[in-house]
Amino acid sequence: MVVELLKEKHIEYVKSLDSKTETLEYWLSEHLRLNGVYWGLTALCILDSKDTFKKEDVVDFVMSCWNDKTGGFGPFPRHDAHLLATLSGLQILLTFNSIELITKNEQKLEQILQFIRGNQLEDGSFQGDRFGEVDARFSYNALSSLSILGRLTPEVVNPAVAHILKCLNFDGGFGLCPGAESHASMAFTCLGALSIVNKLDLLSPDQIDTIGWWLCERQVPEGGLNGRPGKLPDVCYSWWVLSSLAIIKKLNWIDSSKLSEFILDSQDDIKGGIADRPGNEVDVFHTVFGLAGLSLVGFHDLVKINPTYCMTYDVTDKIPKYPY
Amino acid sequence: MQHGIKRRQWTKDLLDQKREDDEKKIASYKSLVKSMFQCRDNDDYTYEAIELTTNLLDMNPEFNTAWNYRRDIISSIKTQLDLGFWKNELKFTMIQLKKFPKVYWIWNHRVWTLDNFPSQQLTIWQGELTVVDALLELDSRNFHGWHYRRMVISKIEELSHSSLNKKEFDYVTSKINKNISNYSAWHQRVQLITDMLSKDQITDKVDFIKKEIDYITNAIFTDAEDQSVWFYIVWMVKFPTIRALLSKEDYSNFLRELKDNALMINADEVDFSGKENVWCLKIVLEIEIIQRLLCEPIVEAVSKDYLEKLIKLDPLRQNRYRFLLSKLP
Repeated sequence: MVVELLKEKHIEYVKSLDSKTETLEYWLSEHLRLNGVYWGLTALCILDSKDTFKKEDVVDFVMSCWNDKTGGFGPFPRHDAHLLATLSGLQILLTFNSIELITKNEQKLEQILQFIRGNQLEDGSFQGDRFGEVDARFSYNALSSLSILGRLTPEVVNPAVAHILKCLNFDGGFGLCPGAESHASMAFTCLGALSIVNKLDLLSPDQIDTIGWWLCERQVPEGGLNGRPGKLPDVCYSWWVLSSLAIIKKLNWIDSSKLSEFILDSQDDIKGGIADRPGNEVDVFHTVFGLAGLSLVGFHDLVKINPTYCMTYDVTDKIPKYPY
Repeated sequence: MQHGIKRRQWTKDLLDQKREDDEKKIASYKSLVKSMFQCRDNDDYTYEAIELTTNLLDMNPEFNTAWNYRRDIISSIKTQLDLGFWKNELKFTMIQLKKFPKVYWIWNHRVWTLDNFPSQQLTIWQGELTVVDALLELDSRNFHGWHYRRMVISKIEELSHSSLNKKEFDYVTSKINKNISNYSAWHQRVQLITDMLSKDQITDKVDFIKKEIDYITNAIFTDAEDQSVWFYIVWMVKFPTIRALLSKEDYSNFLRELKDNALMINADEVDFSGKENVWCLKIVLEIEIIQRLLCEPIVEAVSKDYLEKLIKLDPLRQNRYRFLLSKLP
């Protein structure tokens, strides 16, 4: 049972990730690299250790993932642009005070706006790229990206919001599209998106209470949170569920000290990093969401994370509030 | 992202062995990636280029840029491809899905293949239903599987201009009968009933609802531990269409009997194990909320008492119960 937060070890773990080029996994995960960099960087921000990454190297890498043909970012140089990677790219630039590389470059700005807006479909939903996969995750990606760029408009926001509201289910959970089963990760993408565009008031107090109910039922006796009824707890839901509860101001509807214990117990006390659950292999995804969960419940001296954007407040304070 | 992989301690020997194994694989992977990008950047839209993406995707099915390029090639040489090619394309994604059932990109490519299948669209999509049946047989809660099922069904309905709601209703019933805790199936039951009622596909609606009430009564007496059925019951209690369809008396009886049953199950559990059933208590709270809303006379209101109990019995969520307590009239 690990009871301490192993801050130094986690910093070392995140730092070590880019030096694993001799492992096959490193190369097989190129399609997630930009997301991975964002996860690592945000983990470092929460640990107040942003400078562990060399700003110039990271910013250069982000810009090398820019896709000149379509606008938008791919997850790795030469990869196709996708809304998932595009948001990660913008988040990293914002964190490193370099968002002007896009916003002050007229051509790139125009291209990225076109890329994001161009993926919105008639019903307000978003596809991830031109191949048509629709998912509430992409609505979040698009709205968060436009928000970081300071370019949200009612023409995009209003239909997007109408579609997100249709993803709300009878049980108070959200599905990846209308009619899909409730999943905790979708609560974050949908509530986060509504929060970004300042439209949470479209949910009635009764709806908010029902949403809070479904979310707090995700906590299992071990203290961890699951993503759906009858499923095992997983550290990443510390983020998806907890951020959602924070957004609707019901963070205290679960037992945060038991959750903290579960997260701490999922740490690797030898090489650092956090796993999906105790005893499992760690990765940067669970590391950042574990730390983000701990930050949300006010664990020790961790830097405070913004539940809407999944970036620390010093970063998100730079984002203009919509409506402008 | 890794889920459910046990942590292992790497000894130096193991690490050296892995490094050696990886070295060769990395070299061949990197050379495949390089060739693919070269072909793509030279606008190489040939059958050979498709095969190149096959080799690459065999090694890494998550490489979405390779899937994208593959689709672009196929689209541009469509006229040269025969039915055999398309059948193989379905086979290719099936083999991949068996190995990696949670990779979104494979599912996407399968849908794209089906959408672009050159002939017999309806038959092809109907065949897909067998595929998804088998998948949900293996893993009855598979999130992708259920999402995919809804999509396949809506395609078939669109192509055949008919509704499959009744058949699907039987399907989810059989899934629930097999495992009462299958929340995915309960969720789908809500979707189907809502749709059938709104499309007027049920002849005797009142009879249908009464049967549904019997069904859930049976369910809670079978297993009252799992939250799945309780979330479903909350929906039934609150769904305005059901309330509107039943007579005032029938609806009141429904609430009263449900409350009595929940109390009875709870009392049995206390007798049997000394423990209260928190979900029985929670459902009674919901029923009393509705009863108050409808200004029904409540014999012996128990909400306050139960909330105080729940604070102790279900301490993880005690602050929700305190919140509900503060809202009691």
